[in-house]
Amino acid sequence: MDLINPNVNIPIILPEMIIAVTGIVIMMYDSFFPKQRNVSTVLSLVGIVAAAVLLGMMWNATSGVPATAWGGMVVHDSLRMSFTFVFLLVSALTILVSAIWVERESVPAGEYHALLMFATFGMMLMSAGNDLVIIFLGLETLSIATYVMAGLRRSDLKSNESAMKYFILGSLASAFLLYGMALIYGATGTTNITLIAENISSPYFPGLLLIGGAMLIVGFGFKIAAAPFHVWTPDVYEGAPSPVTGFLAAGPKAAAFASFLRIFVIGFPLVAGAQASGYLHNSWISAVAVIAIITMTVGNVAAIMQNNVKRMLAYSSIAHAGYALVGFVGAGMASNATRDSAVASVAFYLLTYAVANLGAFAIITLLGQKNDRRTEFEDFNGIGFKSPALSFTLSLFMLSLLGLPLTGGFIGKVLVFRPALEAGNTLLTVTVIAAVINTAISAYYYLRFVVVMFFKDRTTEWVEPKMAPAFATVLIITVIGVFYLGIFGNSLIEKFSTPIAPVGAQLR
Amino acid sequence: MDFISENLLTLLIILPVFGALGLVAHQMFWKNESHLKWVTLAITVVIFLISLLLLGDQTVSVSGFSFEKNVPWIDAINSNYHVGIDGLSLWLVILTTFIMPIAVLSTWHAVEKRPTAFYVFLLLLQSAMIGVFVSLDLLVFYLFFEASLIPMFFLIGIWGGANRIYAAVKFFIFTAIGSLLMLVAIISLYYLHAAATGVGTFDYVTLLETLSSGGLVFTPLAGTLLFLAFALAFAIKVPLFPFHTWLPDAHTEAPTAGSVILAAVLLKMGTYGLMRFCFTLFPDQSREFAPIFIVLAIIGIIYGALVAMVQPDVKRLVAYSSVAHMGFVILGMFSFTEWGMQGALFTMLAHGVSTGALFLLVGFIYERRHTREISEFGGLANVMPVYATIFVITAMSSVGLPFLNGFVGEFLIMLGMWKSTVLPLSFGVNWNYVATMAAGTGVVFAAVYLLWMIQRVFFGKVNKEKNRGLKDLTSREIGLMIPLLFLMVYMGVYPKPFLDRSKAAVVAIQERVVKQAGGEIETAAAPDEK
Repeated sequence: MDLINPNVNIPIILPEMIIAVTGIVIMMYDSFFPKQRNVSTVLSLVGIVAAAVLLGMMWNATSGVPATAWGGMVVHDSLRMSFTFVFLLVSALTILVSAIWVERESVPAGEYHALLMFATFGMMLMSAGNDLVIIFLGLETLSIATYVMAGLRRSDLKSNESAMKYFILGSLASAFLLYGMALIYGATGTTNITLIAENISSPYFPGLLLIGGAMLIVGFGFKIAAAPFHVWTPDVYEGAPSPVTGFLAAGPKAAAFASFLRIFVIGFPLVAGAQASGYLHNSWISAVAVIAIITMTVGNVAAIMQNNVKRMLAYSSIAHAGYALVGFVGAGMASNATRDSAVASVAFYLLTYAVANLGAFAIITLLGQKNDRRTEFEDFNGIGFKSPALSFTLSLFMLSLLGLPLTGGFIGKVLVFRPALEAGNTLLTVTVIAAVINTAISAYYYLRFVVVMFFKDRTTEWVEPKMAPAFATVLIITVIGVFYLGIFGNSLIEKFSTPIAPVGAQLR
Repeated sequence: MDFISENLLTLLIILPVFGALGLVAHQMFWKNESHLKWVTLAITVVIFLISLLLLGDQTVSVSGFSFEKNVPWIDAINSNYHVGIDGLSLWLVILTTFIMPIAVLSTWHAVEKRPTAFYVFLLLLQSAMIGVFVSLDLLVFYLFFEASLIPMFFLIGIWGGANRIYAAVKFFIFTAIGSLLMLVAIISLYYLHAAATGVGTFDYVTLLETLSSGGLVFTPLAGTLLFLAFALAFAIKVPLFPFHTWLPDAHTEAPTAGSVILAAVLLKMGTYGLMRFCFTLFPDQSREFAPIFIVLAIIGIIYGALVAMVQPDVKRLVAYSSVAHMGFVILGMFSFTEWGMQGALFTMLAHGVSTGALFLLVGFIYERRHTREISEFGGLANVMPVYATIFVITAMSSVGLPFLNGFVGEFLIMLGMWKSTVLPLSFGVNWNYVATMAAGTGVVFAAVYLLWMIQRVFFGKVNKEKNRGLKDLTSREIGLMIPLLFLMVYMGVYPKPFLDRSKAAVVAIQERVVKQAGGEIETAAAPDEK
């Protein structure tokens, strides 16, 4: 049967729609029954699960799913699928982590969950968008929601500072992005990424292409917290409530990576024989590789000096953006045959990071108590055998972030180093070596958790915090996740890297 | 039988993990820690007995791998769970399983803090160590190599001495830096293999076949870098001078059981790695860099011995003696003669037994006096005659007295080095002879520092009141030393079974190093029957 690609193809964005509708329903419900807390938790979880089930069905469907929709603005491929999977997992875990926190801090639950849903919606659009406009739409939906989420503890000065900084610097980054997109449009005459990829071999204004690309790198650099555009990160992460910080580091960062990958790796390929694309490709690869090296080094070295756990994890998240960028440049250098698996390796890396990071932030939320009071390293002194379950899981997450074998972080690192080494390019090899040396540096501060929790003695009293069922669920999911990704990650990697069999008309 | 031979190694890796899980479960339900040590002892003894089954298969002593199992692990990067042993790894696996029950026995009264966690880490460590020696997939090997760090890190950090945090972190970071560079080399190998043959692989056996058939030839630069990345990881682990500084700290701060395992097994991972991976994957580079390794080894031998001589702390003294002994092992390996390499392997085992025993003995006295300062003791032979006797025998085996195990290995190494043609003839001097003679002084120094220490600790008058009431060894302590003493004598008097089993594997490696195209080194004559 010859399918004709309709202009509007509702089913393809059903997961996104479910999430958006869930957000609206929560908002409506909350305005009529403002005292509720658990209903919106359940509602949002139901929405996410429904979206996830649908996504799974679309993933496994061998026919009937068109490759593009909405006139080529939305694309259905493995990049979208794998990243959307990461986003849904991140949101679900964040909701579960927040369950205790929403209660403890009497946060307006409805608003919080609705915002989280909208943020998730934005992230999903960013990975599905095949058009600069859609990507920008998604990014702004995400950003506006997260600006508010960072400032949810209205009475807390740090939280306010965090939201304000995030807003101002985030807007600046958005402006860069938008300008970059405009220039790219000027150079190629289209906002569709597939068409951009075709047009860059003979652009109208090659100069605009380079400037536009540079602006996009700056804009995305902000969003993924890559040095030297990372300065906002520690303050925002420290001030934002812990569950939100966990979410910020795992979700929006991955979303920015999804769009970044889409625009650069797919949109700016190396076209043989075309000078303009050669220039563009060369310059963005070298620029991003250098950014990756700076990012990793700055993140890791600064993390060593932190005494606040959340700031430390903020710098660690900067460093991880750097590691992911290693895979990113590797994907940029990959041939058509290996590109899918290289992109998948970045997605997988971000998944392993998200799992370990969310788990760590969950524990920090629990131990931090009201208003995140206990977030200095000294507050964790000697709790190792007083709360063994929490301490060992936290150590496990740190080891996964460090990338030790048997944890997901290890496989993630191997996967992102792989495409970069495969390229056989000196700069990329140097980048990998820098990443490895940085990993060794990072051992110092990740192990610091182990050191303070297990090797030091506690001088002050310790009250074992109560573990709510929702919270225990998060821990179980993340611990199993860390081991599963580290030992049995194979099936998932294959799922991520297998191109989705497109059916029906395609754009190219 | 097939099922057993396929899964025996996996069983050895997995049993300690199950044991550890069992201990955790036990702790959760019974909350009684008093008989944990018995349970752990039983687990480790059972594992040791199972590992003896490996000896039953005579095919292990011919070249090639036995007890192989090869199943896909991560298809996406073509990494397989591939394990197997040959004569090189056979004894190291058995050394590991043999030393564990002894290490457990040594903790009988020493571990009061958190015994469950202690035994759990001990068992996890055992699993990782066995994994290192049997894995034939580079990624899996790396996995176990790194995984062995964590339990040791905890063992030093929680149950160590006063300066434990510094020592633990130093230990971790030193080893991690080396092994991470090795990871890059491993992934690069994958791609070089993919570029040459179209299929990327981490599989050691496949890589070796491609390399020896000439299907993959490294450019000089790539070969050098890859070799150095591997060699650095192992050199730090060995530890070869000048990467040895983590060792005295780690040894001194670690609890007795930790020191024993560290000396007996963990250090061997480095020498094993050099022999197994560096020599066979990069024979040209191994030959090229052999002079540097030999010089560093000799520096290690002499420097280790000299520094050991002036240590005020017995445990630190033994730690530095390890540096010297491992220098001998490196020297033997890089002589590229069958004698030298067999001697290196034998010294690895002998060092495991005798240095492990020395650390145990130091632990005994520390438990009684809570100090290890040599100046705190004197005349102990009068108070603790049994202890003194055992100590002297062990020290003699460490020095290399004939008829004890240290002698055989060091003698073979020096013979091998003497016969070796690795170092050039220049200025009319055969530098191989010079290297052998220089290493020989190390044996003299070893006698000096150990005998001098023994003299100060055991002989003379009892001049400290505290030492007068010291109790001699208990039957448990004597019991756990007996197997070690037996091995010291047995290996010294009749080393043939050990050498026979490892011969084929060592010769295969030696031939691979020597007979590579362009190799100029002649094969040394086969050693006579000992």
